[in-house]
Amino acid sequence: MSTRPFPKLRPGIWDALVAAVVIVLAVVCAGAFWVRGTLAEGELTAVVSMDGQERERFALSDGEMERTYTNHGYTLHLLVQSGELRVAEADCPTQDCVHTGTIDQAGQSIVCLPARIVVQLVRTGGSGDVDVVIG
Amino acid sequence: MKLTTRQLTLCAVLTAMALALSYLENFFPLSLAIPIPGVKLGLANIVTVFALYALGPAQALLILFARCFLGAMFAGNMNALIFSLMGGVTAMAAMIALFRLRRLSVYGVSIGGAAAHNCGQVAAAVLTLGNTAPLYYLPVLLGVSLLTGALTGMVAALLFRALEHTNLLKM
Repeated sequence: MSTRPFPKLRPGIWDALVAAVVIVLAVVCAGAFWVRGTLAEGELTAVVSMDGQERERFALSDGEMERTYTNHGYTLHLLVQSGELRVAEADCPTQDCVHTGTIDQAGQSIVCLPARIVVQLVRTGGSGDVDVVIG
Repeated sequence: MKLTTRQLTLCAVLTAMALALSYLENFFPLSLAIPIPGVKLGLANIVTVFALYALGPAQALLILFARCFLGAMFAGNMNALIFSLMGGVTAMAAMIALFRLRRLSVYGVSIGGAAAHNCGQVAAAVLTLGNTAPLYYLPVLLGVSLLTGALTGMVAALLFRALEHTNLLKM
């Protein structure tokens, strides 16, 4: 019969180190997204993808609008109001996309796993890639 | 791998317990407080931590695979299998590595496992969605894993303390 060492049951300095590594990882990750979001220029645009394929993109400044997407048997109702976007209604069992709430910053996204739909906010048409200049 | 009857029985009981805990977890939906796909307490991780110490990595992995396949089968959702497998295997790899260090308590092993589990699940989401958008959730998921990992670590510690005077752990 093998003798396994009895596990240490009290948290110590090494456990704190593991926790610290996880915190640093989270902060670095969040920082990278934040920097990318603030550095981006251009118009705030929603990109809707299904199964990894981009299906539609529209500017959030286009005013109020409603969109309906169906994929894998699930339907999502998207609502855009005053530069903010949210999933108003969905018939998926988890409702994660509805609970995610409103997004209004570049880099943010709403993910619906059952329907395999991703709505991502990006900035496009910044000084780097000007499509049309008016005036 | 050759298992004694005692080990096989313990593996079977632990698999059943892990399945029951994953089901029980649905009644405490952490995702209501933190609305991100995949946020959950990870109670089945208690079993994984326990199996790792009591039975060793090989049998802990066996229990994990049985739990993932049976869980997906019972839920009738084979799509969920890739999520539970990728999360579970990543968590197991991290926990085996941390467990080998011998300096950590069950808390550190459990937190490392929870964090790795979330990384694995985000990777699964990136793969199934074909989109890197789920990476955006990683910071929050890592933060949550500190809490859930500490919680499952605490339960595992209580469990070991209760079993210290039995001969269940001596085999």
